[in-house]
Amino acid sequence: MIKEILRNIVGPKETLSFPEGFVVSPEHVALILDLQKKVNGIFGRSLRIRQVDAGSCNACEWECTALTNPVYDIQRFGIDFVASPRHADALLVSGPVSRQMELALKKTYLATPEPRLVIACGDCAVDGGIYGGSYAVSNGVANVVPVDCHIPGCPPTPAGILLGLIQLIESVSKR
Amino acid sequence: MEKILKKALKTRDHLNERYIYVSADDFKGTCMYLHGKKRAVLRLMFATDERETEGAFNVYTVFSIPGIDRFDIVVLSLKEDDLTFPSITPEIPAAHWYEREIRDMFGLTPKGHPDLRRLVFHDSFPKDSHPLRKDWSMSETDLREWGEGIVQKEPYHFMKVEGEGVYEIPVGPVHAGIIEPGHFRFSAVGETIFFLEPRLFYTHKGTERLFETLGFAKGVMLAERVSGTSAFSHSVAYCMAVERMTEIDIPEKAKAVRTLVLELERLYNHIGDIGNMCAGTGLAVGYAKGAVIKERLMQLNERISGSRYLRGINAVGGVTRDLFSHADDILTTLDLVTKEYKELMKFLLGTVSHVERLENTGRLSKEIALKLGVTGVAARASGVNDDMRKAHPHLLYDRLEFEAHTMARGDVFGRMMIRAEEAECSISMINALLEKKYKGVPIAEMKNIPPYASALGYTETPRGSVFYWVMSGRDGNPLRVKLRSPSFCNWPAVPFAVHGNIVPDFPLCNKSFNLSYSGCDM
Repeated sequence: MIKEILRNIVGPKETLSFPEGFVVSPEHVALILDLQKKVNGIFGRSLRIRQVDAGSCNACEWECTALTNPVYDIQRFGIDFVASPRHADALLVSGPVSRQMELALKKTYLATPEPRLVIACGDCAVDGGIYGGSYAVSNGVANVVPVDCHIPGCPPTPAGILLGLIQLIESVSKR
Repeated sequence: MEKILKKALKTRDHLNERYIYVSADDFKGTCMYLHGKKRAVLRLMFATDERETEGAFNVYTVFSIPGIDRFDIVVLSLKEDDLTFPSITPEIPAAHWYEREIRDMFGLTPKGHPDLRRLVFHDSFPKDSHPLRKDWSMSETDLREWGEGIVQKEPYHFMKVEGEGVYEIPVGPVHAGIIEPGHFRFSAVGETIFFLEPRLFYTHKGTERLFETLGFAKGVMLAERVSGTSAFSHSVAYCMAVERMTEIDIPEKAKAVRTLVLELERLYNHIGDIGNMCAGTGLAVGYAKGAVIKERLMQLNERISGSRYLRGINAVGGVTRDLFSHADDILTTLDLVTKEYKELMKFLLGTVSHVERLENTGRLSKEIALKLGVTGVAARASGVNDDMRKAHPHLLYDRLEFEAHTMARGDVFGRMMIRAEEAECSISMINALLEKKYKGVPIAEMKNIPPYASALGYTETPRGSVFYWVMSGRDGNPLRVKLRSPSFCNWPAVPFAVHGNIVPDFPLCNKSFNLSYSGCDM
C-alpha cells in the first residue's frame, strides 16, 4: 500500500487514452480522442449527467457504472454522473418507462435546469424494446419527455454509450 | 404425510413435483403440516386463471422439505361465487407478499391477512382491476391516468411511527446513485432507524402477462431481461420449466455449458458486489479494484458469448453454442482474476476502517430469515443452509464437489464473506468443469408442447433461488408464467436488517443484500 502511494507520488505519471481492456474499433479512436476538446469547448470542461432508471432491467445502469471504472474512466473527459437532476446538464434515461415511473421521470425532467438534454439509453428506452406493448409501460422515453438522442443496444456497451454521448455533443455543437 | 395425501381431493405426480389438490377447509391444515411438522420451506405461491378449462381460479403453494428433492405443491381451487381463500400469512409470514400479489393480480382475497394494502399497484391504478385475469382489459383513460399518477384511486397509507423525536425521511424513487427506483420511508429517532417501509414496484412492467403473448421461444429473451445481472440464471430456470413440461432430457453438453455459465455469472456478480460494498464505506481503492476485476470478467463474457450479460446463450432445449471451445480464454482470464481477487480480499480484510463498518451492521437473525423465507447469500450469511444447487440438484451440480457455505453472524461482513467463499468455490467449479469432455450436441430437438402441461424450473442465481412455473395453453402459447426472483423474498427482510442501524449505514446494508428492483417488481 505505502509502496503504491510512493510510486504514485514519485514515479512518472501517464494517462493512457485507452487503458488495458478498453476495446474500441479503429474508426472510433479519433472520435473519442476528440471528445475532450468538445466537452471543454461546449460545456466549459464539464458535462454532468443524471441517470434515471425508468423501469430498466438494471443492465443499462451497470453499464453506466462501468463507464466510471478505471478502464473507461469517463471522468477524464470531464463527463460525470451526478446525484441530483438540479446539478445536471443532461438526463440519461433507461427503461421503457413503466407507468408507475412516469410521474417521477417527469418531475426529474422538470427539476433539471434548462437548457437540458435527454438521452434515451438502451433498446427499451428507444421504443419499449421487448417490453413494448405491455400494459404497464409507455413504450419509450420519447412518449413521456422530449428526447435529444437515442442510444440503441440491449444494453449498449460502455464504449457504445460513450460514442452515443459523442454524437450528442456533436449535434449540440452544430446547433 | 400419508394422512395429508389421504385427505386430499386428488394428487398428481410430475417429475419431482407432487400436486396435492385440497378443499378450502383442508388448505390451511395441509400447509401448516408441511411447514410446521416437516419444516418445509415456502418456495413460492401463485394463482392461475383456469376458468377456461376448470371453471376456477387455482392457488398453488409450493413447499419443499429440506433433504428431499421434491416439491410439494398444495393446490386450492376457487370457484367464481367465492373468490376468497384462507390466508396462511399469520402462521407462515413468508406468504405475506405472495398473498398480496395474488390479490392485486387476480382479485382473490386472502381472508385473515393482516395487511391488505395493495402491493404491486400504486395509488392511481383503478380499483378492482386485475391484469392477470384472462378477461381483463383497461380503458385508455385509465391507462393515461395511471401514468399521470395524479388521480388517487386507492390511496396507500404508509405505516406511521409516533412518539417524541420520531421523524420521517422519505427517499426515492429517484436515488442519488446510478441505481434502480424504489421509495424508502424511514422513521428515525436521531440518526437511528427505528422503522423502514420500502415501497417498491415502480418498475412493474407487466412481465408475467407479456410472457403469455410472446410464446415459448421468445420467452427466453424476456426471461433474460427480467433482471439484468441475473440474465442467465433467469433464462436457465425458464428454459428448464418449458423443457420439463415435455419431459425431454437435454444433452450432457448443454447441461455442462449451462452449469459453466451459471458459475461465471455468479463469479462476476459476487466479485462486483464485494467491490461495490466498498462504495458503501467510502473505500475508493477497493471499489476501483473490484470494478476492474468485474470488468475483466464482463469482457470475458463478451468474448465467449457476444454479450456482457451472457444473453443469447440459452434456448429452449439446450444452448445455442458450445462454449467449451473458449476453454483456454476462460482459464487464462480466470488465473489472472484469481490472483487479483485474492489481493483484493487481502487488502479489504486488512483495512480496519472498512471491516469495522461491516461488522455488526445490518444484522439479520436466523429466526427472521427463516420466518420470511429469505434466500441465497442473505439466508446463508444468517445460518440458513439453503442452496438450490444442493437442495434440488439440477444440471451437473450433483457431479461437482462444493459446499453450501453458511455463517451464523448475519451481518454485512457475513454477507461479504459468504460471497468471497462462493466466488472461490465458483472458480474451482469452473476449473473442474473445463477438465472433462461432454457428450452430445449443444441443443436437443424440442417436442411439441402438449396443451395444459405445466412444470417448475429453478436454479440458484447469484442472489438466491429463482423459480419459473409455466403452463401451456391450447394455442401453443403459455397460459400462465409465474416468475419468482430471489429479490421478491428478500426485500421484506431488509427493514428487519436495518432496524437499529444509523441512516448513513442504509446504503451499505442495501448493497450487502444487492437486491434487484426489476426482478422483484416484474
